[in-house]
This record gives sequence, structure tokens and C-alpha cells, in this order.
Amino acid sequence: MKAAQKIAVTVAASWMLSSALLQGAEREFNDIVHAVSDELHARPLSIPFFGLINFATSVAHPAGVKHIDLATFQDLDLDEHAVRKIGEAIQRSAKGGWKPFVQVQTRNQTVIVYMHADSADCRLLVTAAEADEVTLVEVKLNPEALQVWLDGDRGVKGLGPVLNDQESPRHSQPN
Amino acid sequence: MIAIKIAFFVGLALGQLSAQELKMPPNLDHLAAKATEVVDVTLDANLLQLAGRFLSDKDADDAKVKKIIGGLRGIYVKSFEFEKPGEYQDSDVEPFRSQLRSPAWSRIVGVRSQKSGENSEVYVKTEGGKIGGLAILSTEPKQLTIVSIEGSIDPDQLNELGGHFGIPKLGTDSPHKASKSGKDE
Repeated sequence: MKAAQKIAVTVAASWMLSSALLQGAEREFNDIVHAVSDELHARPLSIPFFGLINFATSVAHPAGVKHIDLATFQDLDLDEHAVRKIGEAIQRSAKGGWKPFVQVQTRNQTVIVYMHADSADCRLLVTAAEADEVTLVEVKLNPEALQVWLDGDRGVKGLGPVLNDQESPRHSQPN
Repeated sequence: MIAIKIAFFVGLALGQLSAQELKMPPNLDHLAAKATEVVDVTLDANLLQLAGRFLSDKDADDAKVKKIIGGLRGIYVKSFEFEKPGEYQDSDVEPFRSQLRSPAWSRIVGVRSQKSGENSEVYVKTEGGKIGGLAILSTEPKQLTIVSIEGSIDPDQLNELGGHFGIPKLGTDSPHKASKSGKDE
């Protein structure tokens, strides 16, 4: 086998492996979306050009973000019991390596934040169920790349507030 | 026979290890139905390691917290907020308190306010002369917060962790300066 062929085979194998891993992650996310869909008897809102945004994200890795999935269900009319049921459905369907590390439950809102270690990267799944809206966001990112971006004094809050309950003055814009 | 002996001793060691870990009482879950707000933070060793990667080395506050969580095995917080007083009973907290009565645990801070009904207690677990765990029990008429921190931590560092990971700010500058038996006000 020639060197060029070897490179081509290696590139193809790497691409197939990364695609398979990405598809696996998407399948997990889709399973959670399906579980919520079944519970609500509704489909998530279709967001135009979201695939394009995701492609740009996977190429440019802004703020260390490598992949993003979003599903939102709107115009709902859920009571307190239904909001809790959605939270339970999410908990049942978030299997595998997903670990809930923050859960906040009020009468009309359930927020669960999951984390998943993915080799050098980290996946965060934020789920929020409210009376009129359910939102699921999954972000695959590299924490160190995010830190580099934040330390670059972009003046934009990153994931710090997820872990810190208090505001950090380092992100404020000097005006 | 050797394999059985090894399995027995490993089982015994694991049993003792798990007995030393502070457990959140499962009966607290029924309080969730009565509460207006429930906050549950579960950070085991793996998640703490992961969470530490989100904290910057360049920021002084983040760097301090990162250093502290480096020595921890877990942070567990359960907080309930109720609409009116009397929604939870002492018996709900008793299983947690009873674990803290074991010889390994000592109460280092006790703050009680007759006026507001607030009661905060800080306990430390000593392992071979070092602090191997820390527990906070904060009760108010309409709020109940339980914090369990596993691993090596100095009570002074509590102030640094307060406000992070759902751990409440205690409003004390240095918990270990209080008397060993606790100090009521």
C-alpha cells in the first residue's frame, strides 16, 4: 500500500470513528427528546438553519464548543404536576454516562444540569421544564479551550455561573 | 479458600469505608413534594474533577476553589424552601444527625438565633488526625439545608467554597475559631 493510500485510509477511519461517536451522542440526545415528546404528545419546534450553525460550530469551535444540540417545545400549558412529570421523564431517559449534578425544582419549573466526561471533552446537558416551555440543550465542549476564551477578556459570561453561585467581576467590561 | 478470604476482607474493608461516608437521608425526598423550591447538588469525585476544569487558574477566586476541590471526594447539597413554617420536622433530619453522633464526627460550630429561629451547625470528621469530611446542617423555620463535603478540607476554606456549588455562605469568618463544643447565641 502506498503512503498516500495509507493516509487516505487513516483519515477515512478517523472520520468514520468520530462520526460514529458524534452519532452516538446525538442518539442519546434524541432519546431524551423523544421521551419528552411522548410525555407532552408534542413535537419540538423546528429551528431553521440550525444544522448550518452546528456545522460552523464543529469547524470553528467557538469558545471551545464543538457540538450543540437544541430542542425546544413551546406554547405549552403545563400544571405543576405535569412539569414534575417532564423532569421525571428526562431523568429516566438520561442514561449512560450522564450524571445530574444540579437539580432545581420549584412549583412551576424543573431544571436539571447533567455532565458527561467524554475523553478530553465534556458534554453538558441543560434541561429546563416550565409551564409554557420545555428546553433541552446539549453542548460538547473543551473546558480548557473555554477557559482560554474567557481569559481572553471577551466580556461574555461562560459556564462560570453554572458552577459559581456568585458573579465574578473578572468578566465585566471596563467602561 | 484464599480467594474467599480475600473477598471477605475486601468486603469488610469496603463495608467499613461505606459506613464512614455520610449519607443523605432518603426520607428527605418526601419533603420535595411540600417544598416550594428544592436544590440538589451532587458532585462526586469524577464530576468534581470535571467541574475543576471549568475554573480558571488565572482568576484568584477560581484558583482557590480549584485548589480546594482538588482534595475533595464529593460535595452533596440538599436544600428545601417551604412556603410556611412547620413543613418539616426534627425527625426528618434525625437520620442525618445520628450519623454525626459517631465518634469520628465533632461539632465545631453551632449558631442558634432565638429571634429568627435559625440554627446552623458545622461538623468535621477526623481521619488519622486530619479532617476527612465536613457537614453543615442549617435549619430555618422555612428552609432546610444539608451539606456534606467529603475529603480533605480545612474549615477555613469553607468561606472560599461558600457561594459555590450550592454551598450556602455561613457568614462566619473562621469556623474553627469557635469553641469545639459549639457556640450558641
